[in-house]
Amino acid sequence: MARVFVVGGVISYRALFNWVRPLSYATSMLGIPVTQLLFFAYLGRFTGLRDDEFYVVGNAVQATAMGGVFAMTMTVGNERQFGTLGPLLASPANRAALFLGRSLPVVLNALFVAAVVFMAGLLLLDFSLPAGQIPALLLVVVVTASATTGLGLLLGAIGLRAREVIFAGNLVYFVMLLVCGVNVPLDVLPQWLEWVGRSLPLTHGLEAARRVVDGASLTDVGGLLWTEAAIGAAYAAAGFVLFRLLELEGRRHAVLDTY
Amino acid sequence: MNALRVFWLSWVLNLRLLSQSLFFVLISVFQPVIFASIAFYMWRAGGREGTLLYVSIGAGLMGMWSATLFGSGGLIVWQRWQRTLELLVAAPPRFVVTMLPFTVATASLGLYSMVATLAWGRLLFDVPLHFEHPLMFAVAVAVTVLGLGVLGLVFASTFVFYRHANAFSNVLEYPVWLASGVLVPVSLLPAFVEPLSWVLAPTWGVRAMRDAAFGGDPLPELAACVALTLVYFGLAWVGAANFERLARKHATLSLT
Amino acid sequence: MAVVEAIELRRLYRTATGTLRRRKLEVEAVRGIDFAVERGELFGLLGPNGAGKTTTIKILVTLLLPTSGTARVLGFDVVRDTREVRRRVGFVFGGERGLYDRLSGLDNLRYFAELYGVPPREQRRRIAELLELVGLAGRERERVEGYSRGMRQRLHVARGLLHDPEVLFLDEPTLGLDPVGARELRRTIAGLTAAGKTILLTTHYMFEADALCDRIAVLSHGEIVAEGTPSELKARVAEGRVVEIEVFGVAEERLDALRRLEGVKSVAVEEREQAQVLLVQAEMGVEVTPLVLAHLDGASVGRVSYREPTLEDAYVALVS
Repeated sequence: MARVFVVGGVISYRALFNWVRPLSYATSMLGIPVTQLLFFAYLGRFTGLRDDEFYVVGNAVQATAMGGVFAMTMTVGNERQFGTLGPLLASPANRAALFLGRSLPVVLNALFVAAVVFMAGLLLLDFSLPAGQIPALLLVVVVTASATTGLGLLLGAIGLRAREVIFAGNLVYFVMLLVCGVNVPLDVLPQWLEWVGRSLPLTHGLEAARRVVDGASLTDVGGLLWTEAAIGAAYAAAGFVLFRLLELEGRRHAVLDTY
Repeated sequence: MNALRVFWLSWVLNLRLLSQSLFFVLISVFQPVIFASIAFYMWRAGGREGTLLYVSIGAGLMGMWSATLFGSGGLIVWQRWQRTLELLVAAPPRFVVTMLPFTVATASLGLYSMVATLAWGRLLFDVPLHFEHPLMFAVAVAVTVLGLGVLGLVFASTFVFYRHANAFSNVLEYPVWLASGVLVPVSLLPAFVEPLSWVLAPTWGVRAMRDAAFGGDPLPELAACVALTLVYFGLAWVGAANFERLARKHATLSLT
Repeated sequence: MAVVEAIELRRLYRTATGTLRRRKLEVEAVRGIDFAVERGELFGLLGPNGAGKTTTIKILVTLLLPTSGTARVLGFDVVRDTREVRRRVGFVFGGERGLYDRLSGLDNLRYFAELYGVPPREQRRRIAELLELVGLAGRERERVEGYSRGMRQRLHVARGLLHDPEVLFLDEPTLGLDPVGARELRRTIAGLTAAGKTILLTTHYMFEADALCDRIAVLSHGEIVAEGTPSELKARVAEGRVVEIEVFGVAEERLDALRRLEGVKSVAVEEREQAQVLLVQAEMGVEVTPLVLAHLDGASVGRVSYREPTLEDAYVALVS
């Protein structure tokens, strides 16, 4: 099961990104989060809202969400487009392991991207990070990134039926940019939007990250991390259930391979 | 006369094609509205003075740029995949002539962005839609659309040859929003950005729009935008012929 | 003056593979081919996949630049007088794509008619005529995404003919069509030549080339290995008859041994349900049947028959 987990993940990642050259990867995966950070940081300076650190932490951690949500939905979307979804689901390997395997490279990638964005903040903006907090920050980012893959899995499951699943991924991305406290503090949002934000992954993990950067210890943010993990797990579970349901139904109606 | 007919027909054709694309609607309506909301909240919370109409206009222009960027580049990528790119290149008219209506159409869809952010601001954030010179505002929007369309043509010309160019162009969304000062004034950015802003159509477009909205003189900026559009066209004319030739030499007109 | 000319045409592709360490690959798809097509001719480029047919056609319709050599259409050089060539040729690449799916067939045709400068007054008439010709009349207002493979192919043909070009290039026009549709399309193509058009067609269907073409050039690995009328090509292998031997499960090594036998020109294998049929071409005047049967000793042998060589046999002999 472990082998399926790792090998399946690596192969799928390579298959998806094989057409992307390193330079293209660098510009898209890294360039976009970094330029996003700069945009919001300067906007924050202009509007007089909070400080550079607020935006650095916000956008760095949010960048992990991009990985989690997108990669998962893209995995399903692309597999469907390349016609490999049918054979994949027909495989006897434990599907849970299979899909967990797909989250592994996603999380690793997310860590890398978050690191690059933090670096950009350190170099280009008024931000500093006490070295002693880095391990804790790392853990927070890992938990947050993993939690967002759960949401991605749910979207991917919806992708079994919906034609333009990448569309849904983008939609969720923008919503999260607004309501998860990335560039707009949660207390500024109207109540109902705040609730939406709190029911999504990223929100609590981001809050934890902010406190850690401010000097909090892991025990201080433990509650937030558990909440984040629980939210992610809930979405993942919903995703699995939906997957099974749609897969069974798809088998009955033979719609899985249509595109 | 034929050129005009071709232009009109392709423009309409492309508008219809794009309007049917859910993804494009996402980019040109949903995204600007989200960014506008983020900006509205940041404005309010930060206590920035001044009317929020400034934000609506800026966010609308952000959407127009996104539409142009993803439309023009994505257009070529899609047509290459769809195997219609070859057909267009092999057709008698020059490639710029064939492509111009497509890129102008994508820029035209940026109108959705402007309308969406203005309406959104009005409905949800009580942004007053008071324009000093409403007609001039409309003109400014139209001129900006044209400028963006021709800038999109410059992009499209390079995409004919460089298959992976869209990976690079995707990164240009935020930088152009910053460099053209649609929300954050360029004066707040490092000094090297200012000269860059002068060569971007959105810079002049947004200034013209603000002048028309708040009672300044938009004419000099409109003139600058038009002049820049002509420069873009020249670039596209030369570039397209060159890149088309390169594409035929290196066989990048199709996927294989 | 020949309508289409290729002189020492070459095309090299350079690609790179690999993600981090990029290796350069060079493939010479077309290696110095020469041919000429006369006015009113239906000329066929026959060859297996990868032979260089599509590359050649793309050079002739100005979508690819040759690496060296010259190509001319109606006297215009494809590299120097590109726009002149583009105005005067029509081409049909076919396949699933190459059309705007979300638009109707009619809109697709209208757009390309405009692009190719068909005078507005003539457009309606021409489009109606072409829809009739390709058998799509009545379906033109439906979106292309709902068209079947065959319908798309026919729309491609209509599109290629919009501006009434003198020269038409067809790349595997019947590929993917059902037999009835393919036959109808062939009839349409034959009709076009009768109307005075010059047509260059690529195909890997031997019988299609045989049935349609006035002259054929056989392309293999980027080179022309034979050229002539279908009868001339058949005559080249008519020296020997073709022996058809039905066998059951003969290994590849055995076949190779057969190929090396004295007097055997080629051995092709056709899979037919349970059995394989060996098609043995012999040198002129040599009776190879006893020798071949002797070497098939031990294997199960069914029927043995003789027949006249077809273009397919000529093709196999030339291409293998």
